[in-house]
Amino acid sequence: MSKTIPPTCPEPETGRQYWRSLDQLAEKPEFRQWLEREFPAGASEFDDPVTRRHFVKIMSASFMLAGIGLASTGCRRPLEKLEPFGQQPSDYVYGVPQFFATAMPTRCGAIPLLAKSYEGRPIKIEGNILHPDSNGGTDRWAQASILNLYDPDRAKRFSKGGVVMRSDDAIAFLSEISKKYAANQGQGLAFLIERNSSPSRLRLQKVISQKMPNAKWFSHEAIDMDVHRRAASQAFGASVKPYFKYDAAKVIVSLDCDFIGAEEDAHSNIRKFVDGRRIKNPGDSMNRLYVVEALMTLTGMNADHRLRSPANAVAQVAEALAAEINGQGGSAVPAGVDPKWVSECARDLLANKGQSLVVAGYGQPLAVHVVVNAINSALGNIGKTVVLHETSDLHEGGIADFAKAAASFETIVVLGANPAYNAPVDVDITKALESAKGRILRLGYFEDEIFPYCEWHLPLAHYLESWGDAFSGDGTLVPVQPLIQPLFGGLTEIEVLARIAGEEKTSPYDIVRETFTGISGSNEDAVWRKFLYNGFLENSAAKSVSARSAGSASSAGAKAAALSKDNLEIVFYRDYKIDDGRYSNNGWLQELPDPVTKLVWDNTVLMSRRTAHELGVKNSDVVEVKVGGRTVSGPVWVQPGMADYVLGLALGYGREWNGRIGYQVGFDAYQLRTSDTQGFATGATISTTGKTYPISTTQNHWSMEGRPIIREANLSDYKEHPDFVEHMNGEAPPGGFRPMYPNPFDTNEKTGRPAGHHQWGMSIDLTACVGCSTCILACQSENNVPIVGKDLVARGREMHWLRLDRYYTGDVQKHKWNGLRTDNETFQDTDRQQFEEWIDDPQVVTQPMLCQHCEAAPCENVCPVNATVHDQEGLNLMVYNRCVGTRYCSNNCPYKVRRFNFLDFNKRSIKELKGPFYPPFFAKGAFAKWLKDPQDPKAGMRQDDEWDLIEMIKNPDVSVRMRGVMEKCTFCVQRIQQAEIAQKVKARDTGNILVPDGAESKDPTALKTACQQACPAGAIVFGNIADPESKVSKLKAQQRNYSVLDFLLTKPRTTYLAKLRNPNPQMPDYREPYSLGEYETKDPNPFEEEHHEEGAAAEKGMK
Amino acid sequence: MAFKVSSTALPVVPADLQRIPLVQNQRGLGWISDRVTAVTEGTPPMWWWVCFIPSLLCLGMLGFMLAYQITTGVGVWGNMKPVMWGWDIINFVWWIGIGHAGTLISAILFLLRQRWRTAVNRAAEAMTIFAVMCAGIYPALHVGRVWFDWWLFPIPNSNGPIWPQFRSPLMWDVFAVSTYFTVSVLFWYMGLIPDLAVMRDRAKTRIRQFLYGLFSLGWTGSNRHWSNYEKAYLILAGLATPLVLSVHSIVSLDFSVSQLPGWHTTIFPPYFVAGAIYSGFGMVLTLLIPLRKLCHLEDIITMRHVDIMCKVTLATGCIVSYAYAMEFIIAWYSGSPMEQFHFMNRALGPYQWAWIPMMGCNMLLPQLFWFKKVRQNVFIIFIMSIFVNIGMWFERFVIIVVSLHRDFLPSSWGYFKPTWVDVCTYIGTFGLFFTCFLLFMRFLPMIAISEVKGVTPQADPHHPLGGAKHEEALPDDED
Repeated sequence: MSKTIPPTCPEPETGRQYWRSLDQLAEKPEFRQWLEREFPAGASEFDDPVTRRHFVKIMSASFMLAGIGLASTGCRRPLEKLEPFGQQPSDYVYGVPQFFATAMPTRCGAIPLLAKSYEGRPIKIEGNILHPDSNGGTDRWAQASILNLYDPDRAKRFSKGGVVMRSDDAIAFLSEISKKYAANQGQGLAFLIERNSSPSRLRLQKVISQKMPNAKWFSHEAIDMDVHRRAASQAFGASVKPYFKYDAAKVIVSLDCDFIGAEEDAHSNIRKFVDGRRIKNPGDSMNRLYVVEALMTLTGMNADHRLRSPANAVAQVAEALAAEINGQGGSAVPAGVDPKWVSECARDLLANKGQSLVVAGYGQPLAVHVVVNAINSALGNIGKTVVLHETSDLHEGGIADFAKAAASFETIVVLGANPAYNAPVDVDITKALESAKGRILRLGYFEDEIFPYCEWHLPLAHYLESWGDAFSGDGTLVPVQPLIQPLFGGLTEIEVLARIAGEEKTSPYDIVRETFTGISGSNEDAVWRKFLYNGFLENSAAKSVSARSAGSASSAGAKAAALSKDNLEIVFYRDYKIDDGRYSNNGWLQELPDPVTKLVWDNTVLMSRRTAHELGVKNSDVVEVKVGGRTVSGPVWVQPGMADYVLGLALGYGREWNGRIGYQVGFDAYQLRTSDTQGFATGATISTTGKTYPISTTQNHWSMEGRPIIREANLSDYKEHPDFVEHMNGEAPPGGFRPMYPNPFDTNEKTGRPAGHHQWGMSIDLTACVGCSTCILACQSENNVPIVGKDLVARGREMHWLRLDRYYTGDVQKHKWNGLRTDNETFQDTDRQQFEEWIDDPQVVTQPMLCQHCEAAPCENVCPVNATVHDQEGLNLMVYNRCVGTRYCSNNCPYKVRRFNFLDFNKRSIKELKGPFYPPFFAKGAFAKWLKDPQDPKAGMRQDDEWDLIEMIKNPDVSVRMRGVMEKCTFCVQRIQQAEIAQKVKARDTGNILVPDGAESKDPTALKTACQQACPAGAIVFGNIADPESKVSKLKAQQRNYSVLDFLLTKPRTTYLAKLRNPNPQMPDYREPYSLGEYETKDPNPFEEEHHEEGAAAEKGMK
Repeated sequence: MAFKVSSTALPVVPADLQRIPLVQNQRGLGWISDRVTAVTEGTPPMWWWVCFIPSLLCLGMLGFMLAYQITTGVGVWGNMKPVMWGWDIINFVWWIGIGHAGTLISAILFLLRQRWRTAVNRAAEAMTIFAVMCAGIYPALHVGRVWFDWWLFPIPNSNGPIWPQFRSPLMWDVFAVSTYFTVSVLFWYMGLIPDLAVMRDRAKTRIRQFLYGLFSLGWTGSNRHWSNYEKAYLILAGLATPLVLSVHSIVSLDFSVSQLPGWHTTIFPPYFVAGAIYSGFGMVLTLLIPLRKLCHLEDIITMRHVDIMCKVTLATGCIVSYAYAMEFIIAWYSGSPMEQFHFMNRALGPYQWAWIPMMGCNMLLPQLFWFKKVRQNVFIIFIMSIFVNIGMWFERFVIIVVSLHRDFLPSSWGYFKPTWVDVCTYIGTFGLFFTCFLLFMRFLPMIAISEVKGVTPQADPHHPLGGAKHEEALPDDED
């Protein structure tokens, strides 16, 4: 499984030449020329049979046929054509995946990746563990981005005025532009771009600016993370960009900053945050997180102290905090906030000067960020926890400037941006685009809302199809390397810019190479190859600018608005799933349960219990939200832990021009968002409509009901009683444990050796798990897990093998509603929980729940056909071929981790995902098709254009399950098998067939499960528990280790490390974890001495 | 009621101590044959068509629903995570329970020499067979891949030695239900042979003559035939008796073998058998009360029969009530928090609406049968018998759905709702049941003619009218 490095270009032609058509054989110059024009990216290496690029070209024959013979018809469905290699590439082995280092560009950086490719098809995204600022973890969007590559709804054609054109017509048009504006210095030319960190793009921008100085540049991001840069630049008086080192901070204060969830580089922040919390011994120290926020975010879920506060009051909290830190205590705090909360928080910060960090979120105004910079400066954090990187500012205009000037441009080049959908409403973008209609050239991934205004629409290449470059968060240069030729002949931004610039080299490869040469200062092939192999340029991380002191906090005298049910605040937030709407056509993300709300396929009007009570609304009621004379309507969802009188509206939904998945999912919150209220708006009101709307969620019940499922403690209590988890074990039934199956640890009677060489097990650290849900998508991608659609999720049929259970825990004293305390409230309908008082200020715990691989698995002995069995290495195996689908195993699974294919999910068309759940067996043509050829696996449901792409994303190592079959987590048995086979091959005569522990290995091919690989927190560790030296064994040996539902004696191979919190005893809201209070309503406190002694005595008595 | 007694040697029994004859109004043997076979001869009455046509339509709907389910997937039903068994298994257990009365009446009561059984056993056995057919549809078709159902049978195969999992209760179910069905059919057919011969002898068309002749297997009524027949009948009764107890015990093991709170309990086998008999007798009453009226069989299926069946219903209802109470007591006594939670959740949780009719219909309602007045009022009994089966349906609903919907991890709690396909399939099984039953009563004697004759007073050789010698002397008051 080595990595193939694409050869440098051009390369002398070697080997035998093959012809592909009679024309080629004839080597007619016209053909040659036409080919060159058609494939500028690869023309020079077109006839070199040994390159990887040639290989992928053959495999993606779809592209060829779409491009060559039938270009005039545009998006023909790609025909698959298998051709043997003319010459076997030297290091390619059939069936063995190849890995290529690449990166996914984001707004301000990039995620370093390793993409896995099978027979030329990229099928899985993994993090690049070699990258200096990565642990191999990724985020949700990176994992799901591969689905976008195979999206049947992506832009597939070059079009002019809606008419399909040949790609060379478009390219000719680009050179026309180039010539025209080179002549007139760019007068009348405008560019509308999105943010990214590509140095090549920047270089080309500069070239164009030089050649065409009068050309105007505008940038547009619906959710702009650039505020961090602007604030730092303002505060420090230089063009700098902050880089936050959460791992160096002992105390972190987040002012409405969701750095674990929605901020840029969250996956990297998670790793650094968790690194400061990992406990090996009871004596270890832990960082502490204070959060002030309006919504319940992932960051708030992980806070040690959380202050619910409307977003507009955060500025006042920030100033109060700044005043405390500057020793001018007594600054007014917003109403309802305990001044002690702020002062103690400040004291904790002051006690950790240089080891603390205060951050503000992208939704907060610049002023708050400036105050925060001042605080960090005062605390001496600059250069320690906040590193400043030099950056450049192109002084581009914003979308408002663009709208004003749009009518005056002759040609507008839009690269990616879609302001027709997501521009602020006060910018009359419709009018602006209307006035510019017919003069817009757009390069876009979808033919979306802006499409009707475009004269030219060019398909954008996916990042897995294109050459590019970017800087990762720490400033390291990373390559964006293609794994496949553009499926639909899409172009990249840099190619379009290069053509407009009139550059000689328009191949993105050459452009990137040239930029690289400029940055690395070396044109040597070896350096370049190493760059591509590693996926980053060594020691290229940005140099930190020497720390300067920021100006003192501006005392703007921020005053929180008085909110009430008639003056609500709206917080517009970046959705955890579909971002600003760019992933709205991604089915995996639509069906991913939101990490906080667990809702799928929708956005809602989030509000607190009290707000809903005062407004007289409840879950699913459709309400009209009105602010500034504009309204949208959406369903209500009562979100525990939200600040009162705040409404949370996720952006990115309610799209009218998108693919089939995203079309009209949810409501469009952009309709309420103006230039001034990008983060939040006050003065909103709500009116009921009397309608209701069904909402689908994957977890209906919020409370853990006092059961010791997730066990947690404060760090101080844990230090005193490191064995507390044992005292929370349930009482096992008498009679002891009598396994149904021989324990895989048992020795084999014949050989006297353990029956299996490895014993697989998993350990999940609940202190590390922040609930980001990347693991769910990694598992979905690796294991070909289908999506089922909103209606079926409501019916409890979602297929995720790994789910993230999220429980709210609350003060037991508040477990009542309107004074009507009943001890039976647990038994009531789950709908009632939204009215209960304890959800006002809950703590949140999360737990990844997957097949526990019980040694005494209850599922196994109830299957009548032996379809689920145990193997010698401790895996609970599911034999799909044998399964008839009685579903008894699921009924008997105490963890409810088995998933049943109620319908043929892999064959359902996208249309059915969104419609009524009944698949139309009797639908038009389906039955006739089935009668015609019952063996045709494609008979019936999906349309052909979906099949062609959706088939390509499947991992060939994992069976695609048909309907009527049970499935569940396999511990990625395919990866285990590959590792075992590889080790056996490697071992040869040495007999060393034990697979080395992959948990801490830097080798990308080391054995890790997909969830483990993707986890940015490193919370999931898998390995051989028979080896006492493996990481998983060491984790399981910790005293925090426990198994869920231990009293059932199922002996799970997946165990959990208890969650630890680190609250500050001086804080007014210091408390034991709420879950302990809930637990104590039914069981004795695990920390009470008496109980410990009793337990010890009982143990002695037993002996 | 007393007969005119010619011999003075017999002691005079006081009127209220006299045994009430099983066939009333001193009906003669010929009358019995005539009356029973009359239902199968001549043109069917209007009410038969009124029942038959809707039943047939429902049967058609069942076919359509099953075709839809098989071609599309189990997903057309409401089953979900965590409630992976819904109406499919509820209705399976419900129909199997109904199928208990017939074989109990014919086998156990035969061994116990309960002579009153003769009037009801044929119809009850038919009911059993049809109910088991309805029940069998569900486990066979509720699986995800119906076409592989045969993997549940231990058939030697070439796929390597792959055998079913003999530790699985579903495997035991396969044997239990198929054995029960086979023996019930055999037993029923055995009992039919002498009556089929009667039908053959009365047949007026060639086709009837041929078919009844074929199935009566050359019965002549000779002593040797009778002697063999009765031995065989006794043996089959002996074989069928344990099956009555085993089928529902094994069905109950589907639940008690698992470790789900609410399922994981040792009380299930006796409790399920009692519940099955309770529901079975409920169904027998539901069927026979209108039939005795419509077919003018009041003299054969008398109020005494009805009264006895009400008493059986009362007795089994009390056993079921005891089991309900005991489940709660054991949950408390076990100290298991999960078990305690589960039973509180049954009574107070979101499915309280299912628990209340279950308790009402199965615990409170049968107590009315303590009153003789109730046991004499066929109208009330008929209504109550329907509620018995409604209650038993809810019992299965509570056991299956309510146990599953909230188990160990609150994160996976859910709320099951059936779909229209569930409902239509269930209604469709009634179509199958009633179509079969109506055809049965149209073409086969629904009362065991020979056996009823055997329990008439005149069949007793010691009876003054023994041997039916004086049949012509009896009053023949046709109504």
